[in-house]
Amino acid sequence: VTELSPSHFSAARAAAVALGYLRYLRGGPGRGLGLRQLRSARRQDIDDVGHKYYLELELEDVLDKARTVSCTAEVLYQLGSKTSAPDVQVTVQGELRSTEEADQEFYSRIRSLENELVAENIPDSHGNVPPELEPIHLLAWVASGYVIWQNSSENTKFHLAQVKHVKQVKRNDEDLQFDFVVLLHDMVSQEVLPWQVTLLWHPQRGARVSQ
Amino acid sequence: DQVLHIMPETLQQVQHLQLLCSTLMLDLWKPLLPEDIRAGEDLHIRVPAPLVQEVKDSLDQFMISYRVLIPDVQKLVDQSMPRERSSHRQVSGGYVYTEYHPMDEIYQWMTQIQKNNSELVTQHFLGKTFENRTMYYLQISQPSNKPKKIIWMDCGIHAREWISPAFCQWFVKEILQNYKTDSNISRFLQNLDLYVLPVLNIDGYIYSWEEDRLWRKNRSPYKNGTCYGTDLNRNFNSSWGSVGVSFNCSSDVFCGLGPESEPETRAVAQFIKSKKSDILCYLTIHSYGQLILTPYGSTNEPPSNNEELMQVAKEAAAALTGKYGTSYRVGSTASILYSNSGSSRDWAHTIGIPLSYTFELRDTGTHGFVLPADQIQPTCEETM
Repeated sequence: VTELSPSHFSAARAAAVALGYLRYLRGGPGRGLGLRQLRSARRQDIDDVGHKYYLELELEDVLDKARTVSCTAEVLYQLGSKTSAPDVQVTVQGELRSTEEADQEFYSRIRSLENELVAENIPDSHGNVPPELEPIHLLAWVASGYVIWQNSSENTKFHLAQVKHVKQVKRNDEDLQFDFVVLLHDMVSQEVLPWQVTLLWHPQRGARVSQ
Repeated sequence: DQVLHIMPETLQQVQHLQLLCSTLMLDLWKPLLPEDIRAGEDLHIRVPAPLVQEVKDSLDQFMISYRVLIPDVQKLVDQSMPRERSSHRQVSGGYVYTEYHPMDEIYQWMTQIQKNNSELVTQHFLGKTFENRTMYYLQISQPSNKPKKIIWMDCGIHAREWISPAFCQWFVKEILQNYKTDSNISRFLQNLDLYVLPVLNIDGYIYSWEEDRLWRKNRSPYKNGTCYGTDLNRNFNSSWGSVGVSFNCSSDVFCGLGPESEPETRAVAQFIKSKKSDILCYLTIHSYGQLILTPYGSTNEPPSNNEELMQVAKEAAAALTGKYGTSYRVGSTASILYSNSGSSRDWAHTIGIPLSYTFELRDTGTHGFVLPADQIQPTCEETM
């Protein structure tokens, strides 16, 4: 196991995968996690398996920047595998701020909409997000977190560049459904790639990507 | 833009006007259609500002009499309907530095800056873009009888990195507002000249305002106009085409058909070459990432003056963090980001400019390229 400089690109790329996974797992309309700092990184080359990164991350809640939370992550890129996602394990140390109230409020608001919500270009060209769309923006982070986790390799570093389009789809069950087109920027190739992803969310059950 | 009142008298003049309107796609206010233009009946046409001289010359050539009905259409529009973006804050003559500005406003800003600060600032022609727009740089130079070394800074080589041109404009404003009162700045200017290119990739920048916010490259067409744009920061003559590029035009890192194949690259390279013995420092401003990057991108071999480069960069990063706590990482592109070749920063160093840096401004991915305008001020203040 070798120690890596947290500035080294391979560490930064693994951190982006961990962040994507974390956003998918723990994000919601009232919570968006950002990477404040990558504190340390180690790498292990496992014969016949792949490359494993051990990371110490400091996360921030974008809606409550004064507070940070530590987290350890293990990211395993499987050898020679073009189609399978990296294996990620995370342990969050400490408590994340509760979003129960905000989640419930958001849920009620969307359920009571007469017309299905539709929006484009979040943020807009000038970086603005109307306050009523901020929860949708954060759900896009959840959805794109999944896509980033599933599609990353040691040669990519994805960030959500912009939400091109989002459309709510009313359902007969209790989940909210949002069909997103997200634009992901890959720092390595510099490409901006559109991705369609459907997200289901429920205040108690959380989020999942529907395939 | 101007509105002209035109009085054609003969059929020949009418025909000429109809041709002019359709060829230049002018905005007819009266009558509405070119086919309704009649001899003896007056015309009102709105002419976009860049075409005003050409149209007037053409009217003179055909001896068609005209007068200017509205000398400045925008002024009239503003008076009747105040634009939300025109703030009442007086910042250097009314320009709002905490907003992103389209290219035509940046051109006007350069003219104003030179006019209002003519003892210090001169605007110079650098070259032309592919779409034939003029590239200007601003020279900030305190008159003196001793020869001065130069610091060059360019912004906006990549169209979507809007915070970069915003920073160049801010930088110029800060220097000009404070050079008399700030002892650091005044000492600086006694010994150094500043050359600032606010937007290098003008065509791309305009495209990112009008068509595709996330466009990166310039707008040279390839393959019969089915594919556009070279990544200008892969187009310089530094290990060109060797690594971190694509030879496919549709790629965002397409390096062009050869080193310096692009007019924008040539304009910058020619100028810097001509002044290279006087240039102390080459800075190129990008986003995002919060990084101060040193040579090289194409190899892990450190440059000859790596210690000095790193030391200066680390001090800069520390000073930057001191302002708002924003953390910047320092190191070579090859170790921090990826391998690349043909970058302007690497090229500047290889031709002999000792201090050569790429700045990647805020943020680290939360907003990425679409950095909110309310972060312009803190970003620029800390980077100063």
